[in-house]
This record gives sequence, C-alpha cells and structure tokens, in this order.
Amino acid sequence: MIDRVEKLEKDKNIKTVKWVTANEFYLAGHFPGDPIMPGVLTLEGMVQSALVLLDESLSRGRLRASLKKVDRVRFKRAITPGDRVEFLVSLTAREEACWRFKGKAQVSGETAAEADILLQVDLREVGFEL
Amino acid sequence: MMESREIQSILPHRYPFLLVDRISKIEPGKSGVGIKNLNGNEWFFGAHHFYPPVLLLESLAQVGGIVLGTKVREKSPLAKFIGLFAGVSDFQFHRCPVLGEEITLKVEVMQSLASLYRFAAEVFVGGEKIGGGQILLSFQATESGSSR
Repeated sequence: MIDRVEKLEKDKNIKTVKWVTANEFYLAGHFPGDPIMPGVLTLEGMVQSALVLLDESLSRGRLRASLKKVDRVRFKRAITPGDRVEFLVSLTAREEACWRFKGKAQVSGETAAEADILLQVDLREVGFEL
Repeated sequence: MMESREIQSILPHRYPFLLVDRISKIEPGKSGVGIKNLNGNEWFFGAHHFYPPVLLLESLAQVGGIVLGTKVREKSPLAKFIGLFAGVSDFQFHRCPVLGEEITLKVEVMQSLASLYRFAAEVFVGGEKIGGGQILLSFQATESGSSR
C-alpha cells in the first residue's frame, strides 16, 4: 500500500506516499462504477509505514512483526483515484517487543484517516538488539 | 439465514472486496453473525499465508452494514441507504485466521448517535476467539442514489 518512502528518521517518524489510480484491482469491487479506496486499506498503508519504520530502526538482523491492536481509528474523508496519499507515522512508545505508533493519512494537506497502531515483534535473530 | 445473493442485494461490495459469504443469524438493526470461508483461491494469499487483519475489520464492517441495511429494508424493500466505515476502537488481534479456516464474525449494536453506529465486534474460529473490539459505521437512509 505504499509506493515510496519520502522521509525517515530512525526511532522517530516516517513519511510515505501512495498514488491512487483507478486501475487498482480492489477498486473494481469497492464499488462497481464508484471507486473509493477502502478505509481498511488506508489503515493498511499506515500499518505498513509503521513496519518500515520499525524495520529501519532496528540495526541488524531479520525480524517479523505483527499487528496486535488498533485504536482510535477514524476514516474522515473518501480517497478516490487521482489522489496522492501521504502516510505520516511516528513512534510514540516502546515497551520491550511492543511498539506503539500514531498514524495519519493525508490528501492535499487534509486528514483522511487517523489511527493508533500497536505492533509486536514476534521473531528476532539471536543477538538482535531490541 | 442469508446466502450470498441476498447479501449482494444489500451490500454494494463485489469481488474482490466482498468479504462475507453467509449470514447465519440476524436480528435487523441489532446484531448479526456472518461467515467467511478462506480458501487458496483468494487474492491475498499470494502475499500472505493468513487473512490480513485489516480485511478482518472490513468483514466485520460488512456484517454490520447488513445488520443496519436489513432493518431499513424491513420497512420498505426498495429503500436506499449509504453506509460508510467510520472507525475502529480498541481492537485486538490475538492471531490471524489461515487458509482452510471458517471465520465467524459477530457484531452487535452498542449505541447509536445520529447516523453513527457503534458495534461490539468479535471474531471466532471454531470456538476460539481470535480478535475483538469496536467498529463504527456511519449509516443513512437516502431518498435516491446507490446504496453503499
């Protein structure tokens, strides 16, 4: 759900971008003749941005992380083909394997969605620094 | 009980974004139980070996849309309405459903304020609860236009 990482500060925040086009397969069913980006995929864009930030913040090794919790998710504005969506995600807290993020999706400076995201690191290699 | 054909008469969602197969129990305007089966022919199994958590939220929202939509249709069978996914609160994922599992999606209206409906939502596989929280839908009957 993300096309490009525009800015990344390890352990702090990330800004990613997705361009929305009518040619995306899921828009065929959401909805026929009335394409609107599904809110849950906007949420997925924020989650994936958080995963990239997590991945880049850990210095070395392989890892696998999963989505544990979402809270305060709000879908505020419809996103349609032609829009450029910016995902702004920042790390807010970190307790052992649990990482908390605050995410926002913006279209032309307007907030389209917001979410609090909790990721858990499930797998790390021996010697991996958390 | 509602089969897919009837579900499609209420929801505008179609392939590849129709994420509920059957409704096994429904109390229009109050609660509903939906079924989603996972098989190997589904598009998301290319990238993952499990049902993505965000799609689980969408499945629940679609069952919620059916609960509200059936209520409106009870009164007038040709009624139009617009339902939108408005949000999610405090939703925990214990594990993701995998290929070959049947997912049970339970939703129940907790409160409604104007056009905003808050549902308690739970997900089960077999008897095991694998996730739960609250979802918010914005739902409005309309004079004309498409139901969404």
